[in-house]
Amino acid sequence: MLKISPKFVSAVQNAKSLAELFPMLQNAIELEHSTIPPYLTALFSFKANTESDTRKVIHSIVIEEMLHMTIAANILNAVGGCPAISRPDFVPNYPTHLPMGIGGSLIVGIEKYSLDVVQNVFMEIEEPENPIEFKTMALAATEATYKTIGDFYRALQAKIAELAPDELPGNPAKQVTSSFFSSDLLYPILTKTDAINAINVIVEQGEGSEVSPLGTDDELAHYYKFEELYKGRELVRDPNAPNGYSFTGPVIPFDPSNVLPLYPNTKAEMLPEGSEERRLLDSFNQTYSNLLFGLHQTFNGHPDNLNNTIGLMFDLRLACQKLAEMPFPGQDGYTIGPSYEFVQPTTQL
Amino acid sequence: MSYLHFPRIVFSGDFSSDVSTVNNDTQHYNNATFESSFQLPGQGATNGWWNPEGGATFGFQNCTIQQATNENGTTITDPALDGIIGQLVTGAEGRNSGKMVDLDPDQQMVSELWGVTFRILSAHNELLLEGRIKPTGFRDLQRRQTNGGQPNGQPMGASWTSVLEDVKYGKLAEKSPILMALKAKTQQNKISINLNGFGYYYAHADGRFSLGKILGCIGPWFENEPELFAPARRLYGVYQRGQVFGGSNFIFDADNARLSIDLGGSFPIADSIGTINTTNDFYLAVSKQPLTNPPAIRNVLIDSSELEIIGKVPYQQGSTWLNSTCGIVDFNMLSADVVNDLKNSQLVLVAAGSSSTQYLLIAREAIDGIVCRADNFVQRIDTNQKVTVNLYAYQYGQPLPQTEITITMEPPTPDTPKDKNSPPISITYGNNKPQDGLSFAPSCQTNAQGMAQIEITGNSIHSPRVYIDGQIYLLDYTLANQQPDSAIPGAAPMSISIHLRDDFPIPETPTWSDISDMMTQFANLYPIMSKYFINFADPQAMIAKKDILKFAFTRDIHDPIYMPATRDLSETKRLTILKWLDNPIVDDPATAAARGIKLKSVDANAELDTAAPSEQQQKLVEATKAKNGSLINFPALTNLFEF
Repeated sequence: MLKISPKFVSAVQNAKSLAELFPMLQNAIELEHSTIPPYLTALFSFKANTESDTRKVIHSIVIEEMLHMTIAANILNAVGGCPAISRPDFVPNYPTHLPMGIGGSLIVGIEKYSLDVVQNVFMEIEEPENPIEFKTMALAATEATYKTIGDFYRALQAKIAELAPDELPGNPAKQVTSSFFSSDLLYPILTKTDAINAINVIVEQGEGSEVSPLGTDDELAHYYKFEELYKGRELVRDPNAPNGYSFTGPVIPFDPSNVLPLYPNTKAEMLPEGSEERRLLDSFNQTYSNLLFGLHQTFNGHPDNLNNTIGLMFDLRLACQKLAEMPFPGQDGYTIGPSYEFVQPTTQL
Repeated sequence: MSYLHFPRIVFSGDFSSDVSTVNNDTQHYNNATFESSFQLPGQGATNGWWNPEGGATFGFQNCTIQQATNENGTTITDPALDGIIGQLVTGAEGRNSGKMVDLDPDQQMVSELWGVTFRILSAHNELLLEGRIKPTGFRDLQRRQTNGGQPNGQPMGASWTSVLEDVKYGKLAEKSPILMALKAKTQQNKISINLNGFGYYYAHADGRFSLGKILGCIGPWFENEPELFAPARRLYGVYQRGQVFGGSNFIFDADNARLSIDLGGSFPIADSIGTINTTNDFYLAVSKQPLTNPPAIRNVLIDSSELEIIGKVPYQQGSTWLNSTCGIVDFNMLSADVVNDLKNSQLVLVAAGSSSTQYLLIAREAIDGIVCRADNFVQRIDTNQKVTVNLYAYQYGQPLPQTEITITMEPPTPDTPKDKNSPPISITYGNNKPQDGLSFAPSCQTNAQGMAQIEITGNSIHSPRVYIDGQIYLLDYTLANQQPDSAIPGAAPMSISIHLRDDFPIPETPTWSDISDMMTQFANLYPIMSKYFINFADPQAMIAKKDILKFAFTRDIHDPIYMPATRDLSETKRLTILKWLDNPIVDDPATAAARGIKLKSVDANAELDTAAPSEQQQKLVEATKAKNGSLINFPALTNLFEF
């Protein structure tokens, strides 16, 4: 069970003003972002044109993490705060704990796809407070004595309900929407109700609900999607199963030989200065940092900039996939992983 | 005004250009004969050349401001005197950096920059200046490295000249007197910019694959002047067939007795990073006699009595000279004689020998000091579209008014039967045909500013190259009654390059068969897309990604995200793809055949036109091969400037 340091939930619960929630919402943005590099790395560690079924599942999850990050930033803007995206400390130094002490001892790294990573990292990240146990899966007994990400979001929800005026004070012109997301999921947060509903989207897409593995959008919650990958079977409705679902759907094939051998937690400094490999990884990190600059602009009064950042996301993906095919100098049998390190433009100097 | 005028800021560093190379071979466009090996790295048409997985990205890397020259001609290199010195030149923030693309496989000699943002930043990431480079193709392709292009593989360099548009100044710019002076002097909020690229790496060597060196300069721009070349005088190399000092811009300011010359695109260098190992003394001088020398192998000596020496080119200042000055040299306080003579006599570059009475002619100014150039010289035209091309004529730097410029379409080039191609893959079809593909007036007259305009209309053509969209036309321009100058560097230097697209009516209800040919070709030519992103040859893959495809296919053409990055799709084909994405009907080939849709990706049994190409056209073919690295054994130039 993924823990969160109770102090953050307490901090939310003890807040006396919306301004006291700003750092908490900033934490939420950082949390949602922190899952994206690990998921993307797994997604782009497959050999070209293989594992399309697995890719589809991870892709759908990572896109939703981007949605959650956007929603969290919209809420922060709506309550009058300013998201800070383009700061060195915004980016986790993988392998690392997640923000807010989430997961206790769980260490999240930048690694290739494996069933081990799915089970021991991704499912851990997304695990609901009380996962529904479906046939064939026996989870370790859980103790509900600590706080979860869901608790944190629900605390935020309750505090916004308590403190915020019906019309939220933020500048509506800062709200970010996108044609790539349904307006049911991503919409301007203008009122208290909008904020409360939007938090439900985050929690339910991540965890599902206590009684169903489906989120508000009728899609499987992330935890169960990862569980499908781990079990190699789709979770489908099953009237004979105790909870109405079982992992008896179509097989999700996975062949580990389709995964490129990315060196875990690659860092730029591991590659020789002046080498082509180093330059490509440096360029990846420049693109990544430039993307964070672009998102910072987007969430700070220039929502139309979101379209401009899409080219960077595309470049990032291509660079990541090229690196994943490039032998790691001095590490036989490994290729280069993306490192997701923040660089200022001027570090080129 | 131009980038050579004051105030002027120069910078240098690297550029990255991740151009794709499968599309460098015309035969690769034929879907019917395409093979997977064409997507693999390796020379020759059976492979995909040196960067098959290129993504066409262009960007500035490691570029810094080297020096600046203020309005009174004083050059500053100390950041204490102007904070602009040492600052970073970089690309866009929060969006991708830009693209570099060819016009067409049959015209690869005018590669354009699209969607490139130029920014100057402080060490603390504060903006000093930002502008968008107006799309422009390179010109003055010329040999730079005397060592035969080792180890990078490309001994040539070229220049992009343009304007920065929509220029914005950051708050910090107010602390830079040079930037404030530039701001005060420029018009229409545009700044002139020139980029000289060289030392580009085809080879996986020195950690510099797909990087090159770049020397840049920005200066003022005035309205009613060309945007995509400098209204400057021109010096052309004639020594050793013009393989050194091929083409250089210079300006002469009689009022201030000053000459400024840009040798950054022409100075011969020993290696890929700009080291100069020449030790000769070079002088600029005014020739007392008119010169018309063609580029030749024999040495031309000029007696000192025929020259008015201006001064020595001060390049012997250490190995960083080129990268720190960008090869731009100012000669101030010219003598009264020089000032008087330069007004209507040619500038020459000469090398001093052991005898003090004779100099070796390296480069001379254009014959009669004439410069005639088309401004927007690269065009993409759809059926019935009309474009206006601006041409400018100057003599000794002054606009040439009321002067006739003639425009002629180059004759058709031959088709090459499959068995004459090496290796034989497909027929390749010639260019400039049908000759009635374009309508334009055969001549035009310059106005008081030396500018003339021609209107070019694209007529309906129907796949004259069978499996490649549209046709390439070169329209040559020249001043009427002016002797052609064979020393002008570059391939097709006096031509307007036009890609006229096929007449393609948008179907009422497009089906996959209507677009499968173009999408399959796309998948073949750009493996980076089909391998890593989406297989365009698969309609289901297209449907699965239709939202992002609609997004990319509806960007403004100046947006770096615009698809296709090559910008070679006609408007009607682009709209057809979008229409299909809105309602994606996947039909089978039999149904398509019944509807009369004929796939073009086959070798037609057309009657081939095999007439011999002109000398100019053959030169263009050879230059294309050289640019693509086909001539890998570029011989080194040795014993230069000895006489």
